[in-house]
This record gives sequence, structure tokens and C-alpha cells, in this order.
Amino acid sequence: MMYEILKRTSIVSAVSAGLLIGAAIPTLATTPEHTERRFTVKGHPVVVLQNIVNGRIEVKSSKNPEIIVGSTAVTDKVAIDIEQVGDRVDINATSLATSSDPHEVEANFQLTVPEQTELQLRTQTGLIYVEQVNGDMKLQSVAGDIHLKEVSGYIIVKTTSGSLVCTQCGGKLEFNSISGGAQVLQPSLTGINLMTMTGNILYDGDFIRTGVYTMNSGRGRIEVRFSGNDSFDLTTKNLTGTVDNQAAEFLKPDSHTSRKEIKNYRKLQGTVGQGLAKVELSSYSGTIRILKRD
Amino acid sequence: MQCKELESVLEGQGLGPLPVEAQQHLAGCPACQGILADFSAIAAIAKTIPAEVNPPDRIWVSVRAQLKAEGLIREPVELPEKSPQRQNRWQNLLALLRPRNLATVGVALLLLIGAALETGKHKSPDPQPPLPSPSEAGVTLQQAEQDLPNIQLAGNSTVDASLRQNLLTVNEFIAECEQHLKLNPQDEMAREYLYSAYQQKADLLSAMMDSGRSEH
Repeated sequence: MMYEILKRTSIVSAVSAGLLIGAAIPTLATTPEHTERRFTVKGHPVVVLQNIVNGRIEVKSSKNPEIIVGSTAVTDKVAIDIEQVGDRVDINATSLATSSDPHEVEANFQLTVPEQTELQLRTQTGLIYVEQVNGDMKLQSVAGDIHLKEVSGYIIVKTTSGSLVCTQCGGKLEFNSISGGAQVLQPSLTGINLMTMTGNILYDGDFIRTGVYTMNSGRGRIEVRFSGNDSFDLTTKNLTGTVDNQAAEFLKPDSHTSRKEIKNYRKLQGTVGQGLAKVELSSYSGTIRILKRD
Repeated sequence: MQCKELESVLEGQGLGPLPVEAQQHLAGCPACQGILADFSAIAAIAKTIPAEVNPPDRIWVSVRAQLKAEGLIREPVELPEKSPQRQNRWQNLLALLRPRNLATVGVALLLLIGAALETGKHKSPDPQPPLPSPSEAGVTLQQAEQDLPNIQLAGNSTVDASLRQNLLTVNEFIAECEQHLKLNPQDEMAREYLYSAYQQKADLLSAMMDSGRSEH
């Protein structure tokens, strides 16, 4: 009798253990694994990251002459290759298998780089976040948003539907998107060229006196909020949309008589201050709104 | 014949049958024999590269940078007026790219759009025959788009949906611009937006092709 009880208990235990192990194996296989690698660099390094799967890329800076690459991914679903060649670090994340669960084919990166670093980052859907990095950067995304904070350099951003939020950015900025919008907040940019087909554009900040600022939208809204201390020449062109000028009292008639007259379009030309910077806004059928910040 | 002359012959004539003088020099010059062997090896390896090879992204970046550097894309650089030689150069480049078909459609489209942009930007009193007109660029893009159903995208539902949705958006905008230009053919602003939309469509199709290839 006792033997039978022991035997049954053993069988039950064994089956239970088997079930637990069986359940644990797939869980382990689909659990994201975090890894970290460090690369010593000199001078102005370059980081090239191609994330051909879903995932977020976060870049922050440090005073140390090293690049730290932290990554989180399911190892049997995503391959991550990292290679250092001199001061360049190449990172590639590619899918090893198709999966019905988009979270399985995902790689998230946390990079720590020297302040003076050039970045070339590309992802599909996740957010790209860069903070306090000074260097040229090219950032590409299909559907992921791009947030930049306190960065400077020649910044090129290209998305299909992802939006850009650029806060306290310096240098020059180029943005091109089909349906993504762009918000440029408190900038110290000496030049921008923003283009979106259906997204909205918001520029809220000062214009540097030698700067050239071009903003184009197909169908979206362009809104510019300037300060009373600004000095710029403004030209807006609108084919079928409207110009909503909420700052008429601050816009003097255009003081530069040599400028070409714009014909056949809904237009607005004027000068704020001495007209040192150049601001050109153009929309096919969207609204262009001009207003002065409080 | 000297070594430099032989190099010139190789550069000019390739690895075809060499002139007698070159063959004589080659027979007695180990250095040139080495160069010829290297060229032959490179040519042999090049033939083994599949026509549909997926060029790495840095190639696209380089091509784009080169096009920008030459002022073909969006750069407000004053270029000399187009000459027949310049047209020939584009045609030659397109002819070079043609065998790579799908993998290089994006490049060809960029060239077309870039040329279209330039045609729109630089007007001379006695203009050369335009390279691609807007309608030509539109037709080329349509042809590229027609190939898309044969391409399976990356299988990433969010990305695929975004790409396809944005293609619809671009097509709608192009149709709107084209319709406007039919009624107002001299409208420069509409034309600029149309060119810009073509360029965005070319980029988008290229991204969709990339997305499809990355899966396979």
C-alpha cells in the first residue's frame, strides 16, 4: 500500500516537473535577453545602427570615451551583430524568423556615446530618442517617432509616417516625411528645411539672425510662433489653403523691394524687426498660421 | 610598350584580346602579368554576383549623397546648362543600372526625379529638350508600383500598413497636383509640389522594395 502511494506520488511529481519544465522552455525562448557591450573610442566616433525589426533606440551621452551598447531582444528571433572598426561602431539587428507577435521580433537599444558623436540610426516602428549629443546625425524611421532633445549638428530626419519632436536643438535641421509631423521647440537652429505631405508643422522659437527657415506642407498645417525680439523676413505661399495671420500688428510691409512678387497665390509677405533672417512657408492646401508668443 | 601604356590599354579596352605590342610587353613583365591576373580574377568574381543582389544601405546613401553633390536633388547649386554630353551621361548611367532591374529601380527613379527637379529649376532662354517630363516620371513610378504586388513586404504588419497607407496618400496627392496642372499648366508651385511628391513616391517605393528584400 505504502509502495503504491509512493509510486503514485513519484509519478505525479515527475509529471508535474515535466509540465513545469515544458512550460518554462518556451517562456525562456521568448523572454527578451539584455546584453551590454563596451567599445573604447577616440576623437569623434560614428555609430551606425540599422534596426530592421521593431524596437526603440535611445541614445544619451557621457563624458567617457567609450560607446556602450545595451540591447534587449529575444535571441532566437532577432540577430544582433555589433562590430567596431576604428572609431566606428556598426550595429545591425535583423529578424531571424517571422512571428505573429510583433513584440517577439523586437530589439530595443540603449546607447551611451561621447558627446561629440556622429549618429546614423534607422529603425522601423520604435521611437528614436536622442539626448545631448553634438554631431551630425541621420535618423530614419518608417512608422516610429523621433524625439531629439538638446542635440546639435547637421540633423537629417526622414520618416514615412513617424513624427519629429525637436526640443532645444541647434545647428541645421532637415526633415522629410509623407504623413509625419514636425515640432521644433525652443530651437537655436541656424537653418531648417521641413517638408511633409500631410503632417503638421509647428515652429515655436526664435529665428537666428543669419538663418534661413523653410517649411513646406502639402495638406497639413504650418504654425509659426515667433517672439517680439525676432528679426526676419516672412514669405508665405498657399495654393488653395488659407493664411491665418494672427500677428498682423507685428508684421511690417516687406522692406526688401527687390524681392519677387508672388502672383496667383494666397500670399503674405512682411518683416519683423530688421528682417535679418529669412522665413519661407509654403503649403499646397493646408493652413499657414502666424502668431506671436506671449 | 611600357607598363603605364599597358595599364591604359587595359583601362580602355578591358580584358578583351590585347594588341600584339601589349601581349609582347606582358610576356616579359611579371608586374603587368600580376595586374592582368588581378583584373581577370575581379571580372570572374563579378560574373558570379547575382543580378538581384541587395545592395547595402551605404550604397543608397552614397548614391543619394552623390546626386546631392551633383545638384540633381534639391540642392540649390547653380549647375551649367544641360548639354548633350550630360544627357548621355545620365542615359549611360541608366543603361548601366538597367540589368540590376528591381534592385536599382529606386536609383533610376531618383535619377529621373532629380533630373525632373533640375529641369524645373533651371530655365534657360533656349531650353534643351527636357529630360523626363512630369508625366514621364509619373509613368515610370506607376510601372515600378505595378511590380509591388509581386513583392512580399517584410511581414511586419505595422510597417507594411504604414508603407501601403502612405503610398495611397502620395498617389492621392499626385493625382490632385496633376489634375490642378491640367487646368493650370503654368502653375510653378503646383509643379514643384508634384515633383516633390514624385520624389517621395520614389523613396517610398524604394523603401518598400527594401522591406520586401530584407525578408528573403
